[in-house]
Amino acid sequence: MREKMYARGGIFSVTSRILVIDLLTSLLNPETLTGVMVLHAERVVATSLEAFILRIYRQRNKVGFLKAFSDNPEPFTTGFSPLATMIRNLFLRKPSLWPRFHLTVAQSLEGQEKAEVIELEIPMTDAMRDIQNAVLECVEVSMRELRKANTGLEMDDWNVDSALHKNFDVTVRRQLDPVWHRVSWRTKQIVNDLTVLRGILQYVLNYDAVSLRRYLETVLAAHAPPPGSNRQSQSPWLFLDAAHTIFETAKRRVYTGVGNDEGVQRGLPDGLRPVLEEQPKWAHLAEILEEIERDTYFNPPIRDDSNGAILVMCGDESTCRQLKEYLQTMHVRPENLEEGEGEQEDGPGARPSAAYMMRRKLRNYLKWKKDFAKVSASLFAENQKALKGSADFQRGSEAYRGKAPPNKRRRVRGGSIAASAPSRTADGSIQITEDQAPHVTELLAEVQPTETETKQKYEIAADPLEDMEDYYELYEINDLVIVHPYDGDMDEHILEELKPKYIIMYEPDAAFPRRVEVYRSSHSNRNVRVFLMFYAGSVEEQRYLSAVRKEKDAFAKLIKEKGTMSVTLTLDGKGAEEPQEKFLRTINTRIAGGGRLAATAEPPRVVVDVREFRSSLPSLLHGRNVVVVPCMLTVGDYILTPNICVERKSVKDLISSFKDGRLYNQVETMQLYYKNPMLLIEFDQNKSFTLEPFADMSGSVTSHTDLQSRLVLLTLAFPRLRIIWSSNPYQTAEIFEELKKNQDEPDPIKTVSIGLADGEDPADQTYNQTPLEMLRAVPGVNAKSAGALVLEVESIVELSNMEEEEVSALIGVEAGRQVNKFFNRSVFNE
Amino acid sequence: QHLPHRSGPSAVLVSPRQKGNPILTHIRSVPWEYSDIPADYLLGATTCALFLSLKYHRLHPEYIYSRIRALKHKYLLRVLLVMVDIDNHEAPLNELAKTSLINDFTLMLCWSAAEAGRYLELYKSMEHTTPASIKNHAATSYAESLVEFVTTPRSVNKTDAIALVSAFGSVRAAVNARPEEIGLIAGWGEKKVQRWTSTVREKFRVRK
Repeated sequence: MREKMYARGGIFSVTSRILVIDLLTSLLNPETLTGVMVLHAERVVATSLEAFILRIYRQRNKVGFLKAFSDNPEPFTTGFSPLATMIRNLFLRKPSLWPRFHLTVAQSLEGQEKAEVIELEIPMTDAMRDIQNAVLECVEVSMRELRKANTGLEMDDWNVDSALHKNFDVTVRRQLDPVWHRVSWRTKQIVNDLTVLRGILQYVLNYDAVSLRRYLETVLAAHAPPPGSNRQSQSPWLFLDAAHTIFETAKRRVYTGVGNDEGVQRGLPDGLRPVLEEQPKWAHLAEILEEIERDTYFNPPIRDDSNGAILVMCGDESTCRQLKEYLQTMHVRPENLEEGEGEQEDGPGARPSAAYMMRRKLRNYLKWKKDFAKVSASLFAENQKALKGSADFQRGSEAYRGKAPPNKRRRVRGGSIAASAPSRTADGSIQITEDQAPHVTELLAEVQPTETETKQKYEIAADPLEDMEDYYELYEINDLVIVHPYDGDMDEHILEELKPKYIIMYEPDAAFPRRVEVYRSSHSNRNVRVFLMFYAGSVEEQRYLSAVRKEKDAFAKLIKEKGTMSVTLTLDGKGAEEPQEKFLRTINTRIAGGGRLAATAEPPRVVVDVREFRSSLPSLLHGRNVVVVPCMLTVGDYILTPNICVERKSVKDLISSFKDGRLYNQVETMQLYYKNPMLLIEFDQNKSFTLEPFADMSGSVTSHTDLQSRLVLLTLAFPRLRIIWSSNPYQTAEIFEELKKNQDEPDPIKTVSIGLADGEDPADQTYNQTPLEMLRAVPGVNAKSAGALVLEVESIVELSNMEEEEVSALIGVEAGRQVNKFFNRSVFNE
Repeated sequence: QHLPHRSGPSAVLVSPRQKGNPILTHIRSVPWEYSDIPADYLLGATTCALFLSLKYHRLHPEYIYSRIRALKHKYLLRVLLVMVDIDNHEAPLNELAKTSLINDFTLMLCWSAAEAGRYLELYKSMEHTTPASIKNHAATSYAESLVEFVTTPRSVNKTDAIALVSAFGSVRAAVNARPEEIGLIAGWGEKKVQRWTSTVREKFRVRK
């Protein structure tokens, strides 16, 4: 079908994986292509599929054009002469740079009237600032811990400043990657913590107080130590005072506790009362909208092309939802609000408030919390027991820590734990102080919906954007307020479609102002007014500024490199199949054995499973002048010769495929059909060439769950299995070449039919990997029964809705019972 | 392939050639004794091992071949235990991969004497172990398998998993939930929601 489409011609946009296979199978002949355009050129690295595609294209087609675009300069600045490398990967000659500060660019964007931008600095509330500072402190401590644990590493730039960067956890992870297999379990945990902390940092600004509190509680539950561990397995940041501040302040933003001063002053009965702090941006947003309204009323707009619509841009879908809800309910007031909260000035001009929304959220939260307590009780019951058992032990060790003076720092730390004792459990970690049930009920009663509130319909929360298209025409476009998340390149379409007159950027985004600029200068007859909102002194602000600075730096670097770059190119894009090399190969084969003369005529060939095209190995094999034949293989990943069949596993795959028994079955079928089944253990290019350390399991031969003992078991079970160890894909390609020497070439047609029952179509055998992996994670499902299930069941959803008897009929009674129990077990009771 | 059993089956037999090899000090959990055998280590009735340090191999590249030749075709599982103790390991490892294929050796790599010792211990102690533990899915607690199940799609983490299931009550309800409902949970951005809902609804088999 695709072949016909290609033959018809036209412009195609194809995913890389499909394109590379079509090119290799000659479904699409590269010689017939007029040209190739590459978008997001920054993602084309040497081992990527895109580079592979371009190489095939340039090898067979030397006249077609080739252009690449990128709007992200930063990836071009890391590594050694990055621009030149990239250019080489892309088989291009001339880079051209168009930074924003380039004269032509600046002129064309600013030539006419500039877009009006109003920046609004909004102060955070004290509570928000407290939380943010506390999170940053946690980050700092975690970083310090990391530095201490991994002294050998280059990590001068691991500091709180870098924490402001959007992906600092990813950066840290990347730096640790080369030694990831060797770092201690604790380091891994801290790196995970950083991700969590970064999340909190973000959510403090984005989420409303109640949602944040709810999220934090989930975090806490998820970080409960695993059962049976009596070492200090909790994340270190949870032990800090700052963590305490985070959780306490977050709580105070929602409601205040017993005996609170405020409560006494107001003469309220002891107990909990809602505080429900609002995000400061909300009120400002309402103000801006009002201002716009007034503006349009008093100064009737000059007629131009743009609509009167107001576009509110924010970070993500959930912020969107939150804003929509706020805007819809901000003038609804709960009647029984306490006096002195601005109730007197009730009237048409009342101050908009989020009280209604927050109260509703609080109600949901309290309901949720009741359930959640049960959930954590049932899910983590074992943990709690284990914890109690180990609590004594830990207290003992902590007491020791406190008293013994071997190290001053230690002692201080032990002391601080004791100081803030009341809200901590015996093992020193943070524990949410559980409010007594009666108080919670009181609180719940207080926020019970009042009459006005119940009048408001509940549906507001889930106002799906998809409906917009259906009802779009029903509203006058000038009256619309549209809330939309940033969505990369799609933003341009939004602008084009809506033609908004006012744009409110609820959160700063480095790319969006550019899009507005382009929009503005491509339509000279449209006026745009942009409001930019950000919290003063917040991570958000810092991030925005540093993003802008980084881009500028990146361009400066690129311009410098372009000036000094010398590009030497082999335009034919070959790894150079020299005639001499060809000759040598022929000679080699001759020496090896007279009988194999037939092989000399053919270039070396490897049959590769199509699913393997996600890895870089096929591309590298092709680069070494091996003919890569993509096929749908049932057995093995790479067929090197009629006898050699290779299953490739990265270390991560290896561990997971041992866990679910998949590898055992794969090797079993491989040795059934091939004389030399091989397991290739391939390490990552940048990761260290070594397996997990033994430190935690020294001497204990009793537990057979570590990778090494599993490997031993595998080799004992399959003495004929050969293992290839390779430190990176480049080496693998070399090994493959070595193994193929003096051997016959594999027959693609035969390899495809291997392992298939009669009449089975190989195309039927392709699976979607992720759902299949999920299926294997279900208790009661093993590799065999997974095979049976996918034949009869369509998807995870279908499986989850099946009756126990139906499942049992497919995979047996016991397994069926387990599967059914897994899906239907309620986490609330038990 | 008959082998004489001079000592009890519980001991690893070590060739006197290995005297002074630091890995011997790391064989602790199983007994070992010297014996005149063609291989370096005899790890079971049909299992033997040759030990090779890459540092040594670099100096005496012919050594390992003479040992392989001396071993002839004895033993069912012939392990070539290679200690990677040099930096430029690519070339010798490529060569050994080929050698192991031709001479029916199973290549095992280790990076320290302790690891080598552990491999030897494992081979001996698991001589009669059935491969059940790698054949079937490892049994885990409900909470663990739940987290494993939910975190399978990329970018979903443990916190998300617990938030999801606690919001819906059971895995079944979580699987059946609509994207808008999941989007209301803190921590679940649209990308995650989209990944989760599409994965659970995705067909196992791709049909053309």
